[in-house]
Amino acid sequence: MAIHQLLVSASPDDAITNAAIELRTLLRRVGPSEIYARFYDPVLGGDVKALSRYGSGRPAEDLIIFHASIGDPEIFLFLRERSERVVLMYHNMSPAESFEPFDPAFAGLLAAGRRDLALLTERVTMALAVSEFNARELEGLGFRDVRVSPLIIDVERLRSRPSEPATEHHLETGIAGPILLFVGQLLPHKRPDLLIKAYHVLVTHLLPEARLILVGPNRLPRYQQALQSFVQELNLPGAWITGSVSASQLVTFYRHADTFVTASEHEGFCVPLVEAMAFDTPVVARAHAAIPDTLGGAGLLLPPDEDPFLLAEAMAAALTDEKLRSALVDAGRRRVGDFDADRARMAALNNLLDVV
Amino acid sequence: MEAEDGNGANIDALVAELRSRVEERRRAGAYPPGLEEDLDAHFGRILVHRVAAPDLAELKAKLGELDNRHFDPKAIQTASGLPGGGRVHRAVGKVVGRQTVGILDQVRDFADNVRDVLKRMVVTLEDPRGHVHHDLVGQFDAIFERLAIYEQASVDSPGAVADLRLRMEQLEELERRRRFRPWFRNDRFEEEFRGSKEDLLDRYRDLAQHFVGSGPVLDIGCGRGEFLELLRDSGVEASGVELDPELAKAASEAGLDVSHGDGLSVLAGAPDESLGGISLIQVVEHLTPQQVLELVLLTKDKLRPGGKVVVETVNPQSLYVFAHSFYLDPTHAQPVHPNYLTFLFREAGFDGVAIDWRSPPSADESLAESDSSDPADAASNENWRRLNRLLFAPQDYALLAIR
Repeated sequence: MAIHQLLVSASPDDAITNAAIELRTLLRRVGPSEIYARFYDPVLGGDVKALSRYGSGRPAEDLIIFHASIGDPEIFLFLRERSERVVLMYHNMSPAESFEPFDPAFAGLLAAGRRDLALLTERVTMALAVSEFNARELEGLGFRDVRVSPLIIDVERLRSRPSEPATEHHLETGIAGPILLFVGQLLPHKRPDLLIKAYHVLVTHLLPEARLILVGPNRLPRYQQALQSFVQELNLPGAWITGSVSASQLVTFYRHADTFVTASEHEGFCVPLVEAMAFDTPVVARAHAAIPDTLGGAGLLLPPDEDPFLLAEAMAAALTDEKLRSALVDAGRRRVGDFDADRARMAALNNLLDVV
Repeated sequence: MEAEDGNGANIDALVAELRSRVEERRRAGAYPPGLEEDLDAHFGRILVHRVAAPDLAELKAKLGELDNRHFDPKAIQTASGLPGGGRVHRAVGKVVGRQTVGILDQVRDFADNVRDVLKRMVVTLEDPRGHVHHDLVGQFDAIFERLAIYEQASVDSPGAVADLRLRMEQLEELERRRRFRPWFRNDRFEEEFRGSKEDLLDRYRDLAQHFVGSGPVLDIGCGRGEFLELLRDSGVEASGVELDPELAKAASEAGLDVSHGDGLSVLAGAPDESLGGISLIQVVEHLTPQQVLELVLLTKDKLRPGGKVVVETVNPQSLYVFAHSFYLDPTHAQPVHPNYLTFLFREAGFDGVAIDWRSPPSADESLAESDSSDPADAASNENWRRLNRLLFAPQDYALLAIR
């Protein structure tokens, strides 16, 4: 019996792709296991196969683990036509509305994704969610027996990765002042605009020397341009939008950050929170979606309301209040322990064994 | 603040504390009113510009497509699917076509014009200079001007402010070190070097007589108050002002009307033409040249007509002074030449400006002349006299003037 995983798109350093590769290592101890994706970065050629290569005539007892994070008509069609049993692993989907003005086609995919997902309720044998928040959303879509299976995040592997020298040099010599770090795609629902507004308040009225670094791939060029213009027009030379970075660069940013901050309003899990805590970085975030679950009380969690002044005040406190900082770092360390990769692997395996 | 146990209770307290900080700053006016709304509107405008900006390339392509469309009477359908209807149709078509030509021409003409206008509009849109509203340009200019001021004023940057603060501190420290701050008491100094009270009373008795009938007198730099005592003894109403707090206190305690303060400021504060006399005994050599200038004008303002002023000071025409007394007092700034002081009071409009030469060095200090009748000795005696005049001229002078 084989257990294969299915992704819409796979790319290096993507949290879902990483989790799939982690899981495959585990599954291969039991039997044959491959990762298939509709779209994938050629760099992953050895790890990921094209969906079209998933041949027909496979044994009916095989299992397909479908990682859902976006819609794709082909994949949903594929799933409905196959006879293998399907385990859904839900990573949540970004809200379509926030993409509507910038990328209507992509917004359409997301909207379709949610609709298609609802059609799978009878098709899946088991639904797994990476967070309580996602589990509730699946239940809302009509799935029964939804289980929470934490994402496998190997923070040890991340921590052991060496820094990238050029980035390190720049951060150490080119940047004075405490660093606020955001990691994530620059998408409207992650509210980088609110982050910039709060940062404007922070450097204008509270802590002039603070820096803000926004790290993450740029999926909507027009939106990123708008953020860049906003930074320029507010005259915030201390804010830096880096765009995509390599894994080595990412750990370099984590190592040099004084506080991790996000204003995001929609997260299925939010891996960067765990990563930041793994690098002993205090976290400031707003209570939206899966964020309170993922933080588990370990960060400076602000209420969900939209208040750049409060966010700025929280940034200042997290950067300057040494007592608060050490309390947050300690709590963060304990929380990272809850995401122990081995424990997550066990949980995933136990859940799958129930189906097998 | 603790974030213990992940129970969030302490975080809630912290959030409440952060909220109250925000409120405090708002109340204190730290945040400009409407800042949040401004930021929202600002980003909103940028989004509109980035996301909803017209795609000019697309517009031009569509315009190109329009160019390829023409109005043609031949486009009028004349064929007919009905058996035998073709001929009728063609005939009707011909008639309709002929009647339509004129209208078609008008439509074509109209379309050409519209096309032309559209082309020009796209060109205008492409060039930002062409479609920016005049009012907006004016507002931009105003903003750029204000921006330039801020950019030039690099002192606004936190680094520059820190630099400036440091430089101020250095200058203040330098100034603090330059300032004369004796650890000894001025009354001890006066006793040691200015002579006994009796000496001083003797020395200035004649000057006090000068003010009889000219009260009230303000004695600037009155020191221990000897001159005020002389005035009082002569029946002249008088008050004094003294910069040194110890001396002022001592004079007050001796029952004299003395205040502690800067003489020039006190004089400036007196009502115009309110004084009958002003005395400055051994004061002007402590002042800067500019203060001396101001002093002269102030005496003119504050004395009533007929009022008297006495300015007694060291005589720089006596070289003996420089060897003996002038540099004894480290607070002496520079001597004031009698001719210059005379000039100042005359220029200010005072009458009867006169100099009273005072305190000649004792005769046995001067170079002795020979009493022989030898002509050679007579010549050298004349030289001794010249030298004596230069070296041993009176040590002080008093300028007397009447307004």
